[in-house]
Amino acid sequence: MQEKNISRLNLEQCQKCSLCNTVCPMMAVNPAYPGPKRSGPDGERYRLKDPVFYDEALKYCLNCKRCEVACPSDVKIADMISEARLSYGHMSRPLRDWTLANTDLVGSLASPLSGIVNPVLGSRPVKYLMDKVIGVDERRRFPSYSKQTFEKWFRSEALEKQGSYKKQVSFFHGCYINYNYPQLGKDLVSLMNACGYGVRLLEKEKCCGVALIANGLGKQAASQARTNMSSIRKALDGKSEAVLGASSTCMFTMRDEYPHVLGVGNDGVRDSLMLAVAFIARKVEEGSVKLAFRQDYHRKMAYHTACHMQKLGWSVYSIKLLRMIPGLELEVLDQECCGIAGTFGFKKENYDYSQAIGSKLFSSIAKSGAGEVVTECETCKWQIEMSAGVKVLNPVSVLVEALDMEKTKELNSNG
Amino acid sequence: MKVDTLVIGNGAVALQAALESLDRGESCAVIAPGLSLEQTDWSGFVRRGGILLKGDRAEAASVSGGKVEWVRSRSLGPDAIVAGSYVLATGRFYDGGLVADMDRVYEPLFGLDVEYEKDRSKWFDPDFFAPQPFLSFGVRVDADGHPSVQGVTVNNLLVKGEILAGCSR
Repeated sequence: MQEKNISRLNLEQCQKCSLCNTVCPMMAVNPAYPGPKRSGPDGERYRLKDPVFYDEALKYCLNCKRCEVACPSDVKIADMISEARLSYGHMSRPLRDWTLANTDLVGSLASPLSGIVNPVLGSRPVKYLMDKVIGVDERRRFPSYSKQTFEKWFRSEALEKQGSYKKQVSFFHGCYINYNYPQLGKDLVSLMNACGYGVRLLEKEKCCGVALIANGLGKQAASQARTNMSSIRKALDGKSEAVLGASSTCMFTMRDEYPHVLGVGNDGVRDSLMLAVAFIARKVEEGSVKLAFRQDYHRKMAYHTACHMQKLGWSVYSIKLLRMIPGLELEVLDQECCGIAGTFGFKKENYDYSQAIGSKLFSSIAKSGAGEVVTECETCKWQIEMSAGVKVLNPVSVLVEALDMEKTKELNSNG
Repeated sequence: MKVDTLVIGNGAVALQAALESLDRGESCAVIAPGLSLEQTDWSGFVRRGGILLKGDRAEAASVSGGKVEWVRSRSLGPDAIVAGSYVLATGRFYDGGLVADMDRVYEPLFGLDVEYEKDRSKWFDPDFFAPQPFLSFGVRVDADGHPSVQGVTVNNLLVKGEILAGCSR
């Protein structure tokens, strides 16, 4: 009886309490955005009646999921908004949106030409033109491309050694590590190796699709999701104990958005999709992985909980591991949205909102006096490095720096 | 995940229990299903090293031999939370601490013994402004605040706040 009264995405559970509105970063800075309650469950009632009620202002939703985290009634507010945008929304500038969303394709084209692409994308006249012609804000700093992709490095430098480990994990590196920042991937491989795990890549990895979802390319996102899920299932059927990542947004997309928004199921493998830090934290608590820290490591850092990390609920693991580092003074910042929301903050019409949303976080970083910020999200990293002027590190890299790698390797070598 | 105390709830009662646990020098985790209407401020708890699972949901629990063995949350999945003691402060019907079916009222997480009127026609008073009987339904506890499951006292679990039988605030 009760089950029959529960609607899809818990639409009918909304009590109209408006707690979601109180945490929406966009609503606070943009009066044109109707807010999560009206855009989500309220609007959904109308849209079910007639799609003519779809409001283009839903494009302002950052998909940060803070509304869902706040909702005491478990209403899938942001899922409803995402679904509506995919069904009824229009791209505001198709060429730009398509280019920003296809991180995979653009990355594979730009990476080999990084020597030219990086200075060109960084030059003032090009930035000016991109701003005026295609609508990418000229004030935004672009992440630079790496000449060698992570996959290439892995196959030529690391692959061979991985077979010697008894325990194996697979690594979903994502676009940022592959095309822009292979160092983080290298750090992850050496961290897992030190913990006694060999690392393999998935048979076929596509971009997780988060930017496609945000830009209205649902069909392409679903097709990439199916490719990834079939590779992930193969990996887990094989030798891999888990499929690990370093980016909170990639993991969030595969764990939550695939089944909820794209209709691509992850039954049976959901719990094996994990951030590497979460995986290690669990193993450390079980006692099956041991860590030895350097004694000469002294830093002061602030931990920023990315919105998708909060939704995943895994910041507790990162904080726990980081607090184990003897020389690290860690301040956990109040959870605030940085404002960039992936491709959103690159768009000319959104730039000012993006910076206004982030301002609270930037000032709390400044107030903390920390020299560096730790976070799992790469787009938060771009935003904070550009706007708060401090270096941002992934906890994987912090651990690699803080660990006595040789000693850790020794401790975990007999498993 | 192992902690000294696990608190389930998002309101003022849950926050107080969590802060008291930190005061005792314990490690404490909280499963806070969304914000509470009064928007309890958890920032101090986090700053003091408390583990806050905000927006998470307690989805399963195991009770055996008069003890809670573990609680599983949606986010942590197979990594069950094992605590020395547990506090349940999940509120009444609105907050999901209690569930009312057509013919019974139950506590959904642990299956605790609940005190309620068996005759459904007596759940409500048709006079809207009269005290409503269903508002005092709730979990029955002993003098030490411990609830029971099918008559067996659960000794490492405390139940607090509106979910308690007779708490008709």
